[in-house]
Amino acid sequence: MKIALAICKYLFVLFIVLLSLGPFLWMFMASFKTNAEILTNSLDWPSSFRFSNYAMAFKIAPLSRFYINSVIVGILGTALNLLILGMSAYVLARFQFRGKKLLMVLLSLSLLIPGAAMLQPLYLTVNTIGLYDKLIGLIIVYAGFGLPVSLYILSSYFLTIPKEMEESAYLDGAGFIRTFFKIILPISRPGFGTAAVLQFLLCWNEFQFAIILTTGNQSRTLPLALYYFKSQFASDYGVMFAATMIVILPSILVYILMQRQVISGLAAGAVKG
Amino acid sequence: MTNYKGYITLFLVPTIALFMLVYAVSIVILFGTSFTEWSTGLKPAFVGFRNFIDMFAKDTSFKEGFWNTAVWVLLQSTVHVLIGLVFAIILNMKEFYWKFARTVFMFPNIISGAAVGMLFLCMLNPNFGAVNSIVRLFGDSEYAQNWFMDYATAFMSVTMTWLPYAAVVTILILAEIAAIPDSLFESARIDGASELKINLFIVIPMLRNIIGTCVILAGTSMLQKMDIIMMTTGGGPGNTTLNLPMYIYKTAMMDNNFGYSNAVGVFLIGFGIVFVLLVRYLFRIGSSST
Repeated sequence: MKIALAICKYLFVLFIVLLSLGPFLWMFMASFKTNAEILTNSLDWPSSFRFSNYAMAFKIAPLSRFYINSVIVGILGTALNLLILGMSAYVLARFQFRGKKLLMVLLSLSLLIPGAAMLQPLYLTVNTIGLYDKLIGLIIVYAGFGLPVSLYILSSYFLTIPKEMEESAYLDGAGFIRTFFKIILPISRPGFGTAAVLQFLLCWNEFQFAIILTTGNQSRTLPLALYYFKSQFASDYGVMFAATMIVILPSILVYILMQRQVISGLAAGAVKG
Repeated sequence: MTNYKGYITLFLVPTIALFMLVYAVSIVILFGTSFTEWSTGLKPAFVGFRNFIDMFAKDTSFKEGFWNTAVWVLLQSTVHVLIGLVFAIILNMKEFYWKFARTVFMFPNIISGAAVGMLFLCMLNPNFGAVNSIVRLFGDSEYAQNWFMDYATAFMSVTMTWLPYAAVVTILILAEIAAIPDSLFESARIDGASELKINLFIVIPMLRNIIGTCVILAGTSMLQKMDIIMMTTGGGPGNTTLNLPMYIYKTAMMDNNFGYSNAVGVFLIGFGIVFVLLVRYLFRIGSSST
């Protein structure tokens, strides 16, 4: 009985690992093959590791433009979100004031609203402000989408900082703003690190609103490249695979490098239930 | 401490402004226009509850979208969470492979939904896809099943793009297990309980809250899925893989029927709220903690 259970256990783990890693490995290998190789037998090892597919991907599609856009939106969307939410998370964690409970309930309402429901209203709003098809539009919207998660992660973290920190700063004569920026923020790096990674990944991977709030090739981000060039790459599958790899690799890299932050952030940011 | 009211307000205003802009305004538009008939070039015209009545009485696409969404919510809340739970318990044994397995399991969750869609689109390609290639190895050299476009297999294929990938559940549960005091495990082992018994009767009951949270997260994530469907089937063939978010997108962006799509959006929000309340009831109040 014990052996049977052990076998089941290892089979299950193997199954899950294959299911998770398999598609990536397959496509990664295939991105080095020529079209002819793919069509004859896609399970084979590539004949040589040539990068021509990758070069071609950048030539056929304005991938570099999309890449730059994604980086800009990712970095600025994260910075804006962290700055805004950092300030309010601090105040919410530290101070009591009239209307605080109401405010917190209001802000947590954002968790109950599926993005799909906001498709047309946000399109209308962004269009009316004149930010349609502009990176700033995406940046602001994404900063908003990350509001609940960043708020929770940051306020949870601020709550763990002992009040003595601020008290000694005030005793030394520092003002409110000075204390926040010079004393509290530097200690809060881990919390901000976690919130930053999650927010960056949100901006980098977002697809629904990127497609709705942009048009043409100027302001589009990387995930959209896959959608629009589904047809453009239609005959050259090797290039399509290479393009997919180009889109996927940054997320995976960020994750592997910042694993600790992502994992602790998920544990903190999602136990909101 | 001196009066910091000014600073408090200063620090709160940007967040409130962001919230207003992105969420509050959207909700107002959503609810307001759900009672109107509104299309490009026309001004919204008040029509009362007609959108909602049409939705339930006449619209077959809505019914199919709703049904698909409901099935996916149910599957994800149960099977997906179960997979994550079992994997967490296994990983908790901390055998040699556990960190690698945990890292790798996250991959499909960490990349863009569009990329997952593309991955599966290629994996399940009838001609060169990995799945069909493997089947061909086992005999049938002509096997060319079109997974995403065949009425019989489309729904299942789309489900597979998210159902097994429960890394977030696993991570959350692992974190919660780590919080269980070792003394509990020690005394159980001294009493002679097997690993299986310990897991079934001690660990899992203590995870009630986090499992409830995972069920909520998993279920409500099914109310958000659109990018994968857009990349793979577009809701088809027919309406077999249409879900409510996809339907809202089609109605708003392709049919330009804004009043109606926003009515469906209101329904979607309601669906989510009911689901969350239901799960909270089942997991918190329903079972008493000993």
